[in-house]
Amino acid sequence: QSSDFLFKFLVIGNAGTGKSCLLHQFIEKKFKDDSNHTIGVEFGSKIINVGGKYVKLQIWDTAGQERFRSVTRSYYRGAAGALLVYDITSRETYNALTNWLTDARMLASQNIVIILCGNKKDLDADREVTFLEASRFAQENELMFLETSALTGENVEEAFVQCARKILNKIESGELDPERMGSGIQYGDAALRQLRSPRRAQAQSAQECGC
Amino acid sequence: LPRAALTAIPASQGLRDTFPCLGSSRGPACGRGAGLALTLPPESLCFPVLRDFPVMAVSLLQIRLRCQKGIPPSLRGRAWQYLSGSKVKLEQNMGKFDELDLLTGDPKWLDVIERDLHRQFPFHEMFVSRGGHGQQDLFRVLKAYTLYRPEEGYCQAQAPIAAVLLMHMPAEQAFWCLVQICEKYLPGYYSEKLEAIQLDGQILFSLLHKVSPVAYKHLSKQKIDPILYMTEWFMCAFSRTLPWSSVLRVWDMFFCEGVKIIFRVGLVLLKHTLGSSDKLKSCQGQYETMERLRALSPKIMQEAFLVQEVIELPVTERQIEREHLIQLKKWRETHGELQCKSPPRLHGAKAISEAEPAPRKALEPVPSIIVSPGPAPVPKARKSKEKSREKGLASPANGPGAEGNGAPGTTRELLHPQVSPHHQSKESLSSRESEDTYL
Repeated sequence: QSSDFLFKFLVIGNAGTGKSCLLHQFIEKKFKDDSNHTIGVEFGSKIINVGGKYVKLQIWDTAGQERFRSVTRSYYRGAAGALLVYDITSRETYNALTNWLTDARMLASQNIVIILCGNKKDLDADREVTFLEASRFAQENELMFLETSALTGENVEEAFVQCARKILNKIESGELDPERMGSGIQYGDAALRQLRSPRRAQAQSAQECGC
Repeated sequence: LPRAALTAIPASQGLRDTFPCLGSSRGPACGRGAGLALTLPPESLCFPVLRDFPVMAVSLLQIRLRCQKGIPPSLRGRAWQYLSGSKVKLEQNMGKFDELDLLTGDPKWLDVIERDLHRQFPFHEMFVSRGGHGQQDLFRVLKAYTLYRPEEGYCQAQAPIAAVLLMHMPAEQAFWCLVQICEKYLPGYYSEKLEAIQLDGQILFSLLHKVSPVAYKHLSKQKIDPILYMTEWFMCAFSRTLPWSSVLRVWDMFFCEGVKIIFRVGLVLLKHTLGSSDKLKSCQGQYETMERLRALSPKIMQEAFLVQEVIELPVTERQIEREHLIQLKKWRETHGELQCKSPPRLHGAKAISEAEPAPRKALEPVPSIIVSPGPAPVPKARKSKEKSREKGLASPANGPGAEGNGAPGTTRELLHPQVSPHHQSKESLSSRESEDTYL
């Protein structure tokens, strides 16, 4: 299947918040109960339809333990979007969000679009972080926000789609320039054929030769 | 080693049967069936030379060859403990593990460890049930390490390492084996900042230049930093990458020869994944290349192929050490001084046994089948000794009185009616179980 755009996405957040399970649920539409914890990085990709445009997401799922940060930081470069994940049943994972946010904004790109995901929504009885508190945090830091459940699949697809939609909007409004180096955005194969603008087409072909 | 000899061995059954050459004087016993293997202390059967190996140059080569052929499953746990020097360490620190085991531990580590318990080899029988004995032991070992080295704490990559060890030995032994891996074989890998692993990434990449220029050029062109693909490989010693039979073979060699083996496996995988223009056709972008390295071809990971390639790859300790110095210098220029000072890396069993010689007492053989405590028996004596053992086994009526040929404990054990292979008593089985059935 061809795509109009290609976005690099990150999934970041503390260890054990369910990052890999979110990715697995998004791609396979299944909950992975017996997954290994991530050491280094895992990958997944999927093409989604956002408002008529086909967007291919290349998702980099990173190790969560603090210790791995020096290593995982090298994965950040050129990411257009990120899911920042915490576990609603663990305040500690919520408290770490500021650090993750700083890293992402500093290392990925200034314009990275981030959606905050309060995962394990299904474990409401053990909740330590309220919806209100987290949504306030999201607002203050200009993040989108959803509570998700990798177990039931609730809001998982939405998280990825909303993030992608926001990036598309930014491209359309000119706020993001896909041609800028390190934007984490590329034109997909379909877009190359459809491009009308001679400037863009030229730039694209130049890019092709360049690499 | 002739390639054909290795490839001809069918996986698990073959290992045992090819091992008659192990402990040349009494090899055949290895292949004779589980009943017998269980009743005999395995190290006496197949690792007689290990006890003496600091002093015997010839046996070092033998040990290496044996580890390259694959250690028989029933001996693996013991052999790893000998090779890593963890057995000596345990004997020097009697009671230490129990002491650590009783302490509560720092909640900051316990929390992370607990989150990881059910995520190690979830398909393995031992770790399948939440709160089962496998997961409990894993918790004990990892917690004990955070107490043993509080400045290091817990690194998530230690969990798969500890889990593999626990499949082969009880918790206390696994703990000391883990200590040896973290401090001797792979020092600094699990420390804060992970500097050692990043340095090794650079070393690997530099070695790749010589091993496979095509792969090297491709990875350079796509700006794929080594830590993007080698972190999990190296930190988990390939335990989460390779098929299980290959993992064990790689670990056998790793315990004997050290980190060189890990480098070689990495280089072989890279070479056979990205080493020709044909293979690179489907790896046009960075992401495609990364995806390819995450999903390696089963063909190149297959036990016989991989092991042979690893043995043949000419990458030596000296090359690694030289490259280490070069990369360390570069690191200092770009990052400054290393923040975590780790002890020097020891390249395998020999280096460890030289650095931490076992006290003579620890070298004394446990009462075993060995008849004379002197040098290893000459092959000529094999037949008669075999015969006498068979005789012993066949006539359980012989009492303890039959001792007197230099190995009292063994003879008693062998001649004791309860441990005859035909009449394995429950008691003797379970008492051995803790040591020998970690397959």
